[in-house]
Amino acid sequence: MNTLFIGTEKSNQLKYLVVKNFKSMIRDKAQLVWLLGYPLLFVVLLTFAYGPEVLTIMAPGLLITGPVVIISQLTAHLAEEKESGTLQRLTTTPVTRKIILISGLVSQAIVGAFQIVILLIVGYFLGINYHPDGNLFFLFFIPFMVTITSLGFGLILASFIKNASSAGGLAWFVILPLQFLGGAFMDEPLVELLPTSLAVEAMREVMTFGNSSIAAIGLPLLSIALWGIGGIALGILLFQRKAAIL
Amino acid sequence: MKKLEYAIETHNLKKYFDEIHAVDGIDLKIPKGSLFGVLGPNGAGKSTTIRMLSTILYPTSGNATILGYDLLKDRKEIKKRIGVCPQELVIYPRLTARENIHLIAQMHGIPKTVYKERTDELLGRMNLLDRADSLSKTYSGGMKRRLNVLMSVIHEPELLFFDEPTAGLDPQSRRVVWDFIKNFQERNSTIILTTHSMEEADDLSDALTIIDHGKIIATGTPQDLKGRLGEGDNIEFKISNPEMRLDIIERARSLDFVRSGKNLGKQRVVLNALGGLRRISEIMDAVKVEMYDISVRANTLEDVFIDLTGRRLRS
Ligand SMILES: Nc1ncnc2c1ncn2[C@@H]1O[C@H](COP(=O)(O)OP(=O)(O)OP(=O)(O)O)[C@@H](O)[C@H]1O
Ligand SMILES: [Mg+2]
Repeated sequence: MNTLFIGTEKSNQLKYLVVKNFKSMIRDKAQLVWLLGYPLLFVVLLTFAYGPEVLTIMAPGLLITGPVVIISQLTAHLAEEKESGTLQRLTTTPVTRKIILISGLVSQAIVGAFQIVILLIVGYFLGINYHPDGNLFFLFFIPFMVTITSLGFGLILASFIKNASSAGGLAWFVILPLQFLGGAFMDEPLVELLPTSLAVEAMREVMTFGNSSIAAIGLPLLSIALWGIGGIALGILLFQRKAAIL
Repeated sequence: MKKLEYAIETHNLKKYFDEIHAVDGIDLKIPKGSLFGVLGPNGAGKSTTIRMLSTILYPTSGNATILGYDLLKDRKEIKKRIGVCPQELVIYPRLTARENIHLIAQMHGIPKTVYKERTDELLGRMNLLDRADSLSKTYSGGMKRRLNVLMSVIHEPELLFFDEPTAGLDPQSRRVVWDFIKNFQERNSTIILTTHSMEEADDLSDALTIIDHGKIIATGTPQDLKGRLGEGDNIEFKISNPEMRLDIIERARSLDFVRSGKNLGKQRVVLNALGGLRRISEIMDAVKVEMYDISVRANTLEDVFIDLTGRRLRS
């Protein structure tokens, strides 16, 4: 953890909370299957249904679709902590709400990174045709920025949702529009400025045309970053409301 | 710094949830180092009070000074010095007892060597050591309760809030938890204990406050409060003809040796009288009212509550 920005006390708290989140996640078998199985299932089913050629055309959209689902994971995680009272219990200790939230974001971001790597690898073996000049870093980084942006949306949602059992489901009211309007299942986005639209556009440049120049993907990436920073900042701000943890 | 006399001073503390006046203007002074009981029936506002004082909820109005710090302004300083055992079981189900306790210590920045040793010692005292490495979701209700308590004390706080720590425990575990709590008092921590068990409040607390409908109705030492009822015994009984209850209570009260009389519902009457059962039963005989299901007891905190509200603590 970077102690330069947040100090030793806070970085230790953050570290321990992330470890705690991971232990809880890994020990929940159903959740583990879902975390790792979901992206696999998705890609395998699509290959099975449409074959590798169609998969290659859809791949930029698909690789963006996976990350968006993380909204439901973060929302469910935070709602569970609210409902069980653990979030309140933590706030009676010196740890700040901000650190607790960031620990949730960091844990989910790590999971998200794994999901993307799995998607990329499995996609490769199923016959997705990555452009030979496609920059490997960006193949990972673009979906990962969508992960981060999605976590911002999850945070905003979770600041309102109190009910753990419905949280994961309610998140789909945000996930599905982001996927469909962002053109994840089509070759043209319906709404241009969504983070998913921007990401699909950048992903297509890298994956299909092998073009990862600043001119091609700089603007979309910057715009996604703005979505991400804005979303997370707003989420953390909303969580500072007095009743947000109750 | 001048020596603090009170660990907690509240000033007209209120918490409203829309129309519900959960806490409705509480003024308390809790001496440092004392074990202070908060007694009241379900819904009286005990937990809401604790939740405000332990920085979980913000008061609707009013304020408090906690260990010399302002509840509204110095929340961070307060958080460093308090331990909170919530009424509900608040533990991470997929962490072990050890991990749950360690987490709280880690949030308080306690060095690893210190908290590891302390955790083992605490687990031993609560008879949890042999299951310390199983996931806490596999514990029995009583084990979870004891873990719930341990998570609030690992950092040896100056001020401890226990919200009904023994609810649902068998008498033996209850005893273990009581001894455990008393032990913290010996280390000069201040302890706030809510309960609706009069025995618990009576046995443990140096002083206590009784609250009802969000308001304080009496404060004092257990002896004080019980003493206010006078020297008499409490005679509780049912009568065969319940429609005569009010009439009987009225008549009984007019007798010089009867201090008070209350109608408890379900045909029950309780009279606080000097000279006890014999004199009461003579009188009932005289008016041809049959008494049955009779019990006689010295004053308890329950009787204090009945005296103040006309209701039982537990319905
Ligand atoms: N978050 C909340 N929203 C609405 N009402 C609440 C909330 N929390 C408590 N109340 C109400 O405030 C009142 C006091 O509740 P509180 O939990 O403080 O009582 P209590 O004395 O702890 O009772 P018990 O002995 O049952 O634990 C109750 O009427 C309760 O319904
Ligand atoms: Mg309560």
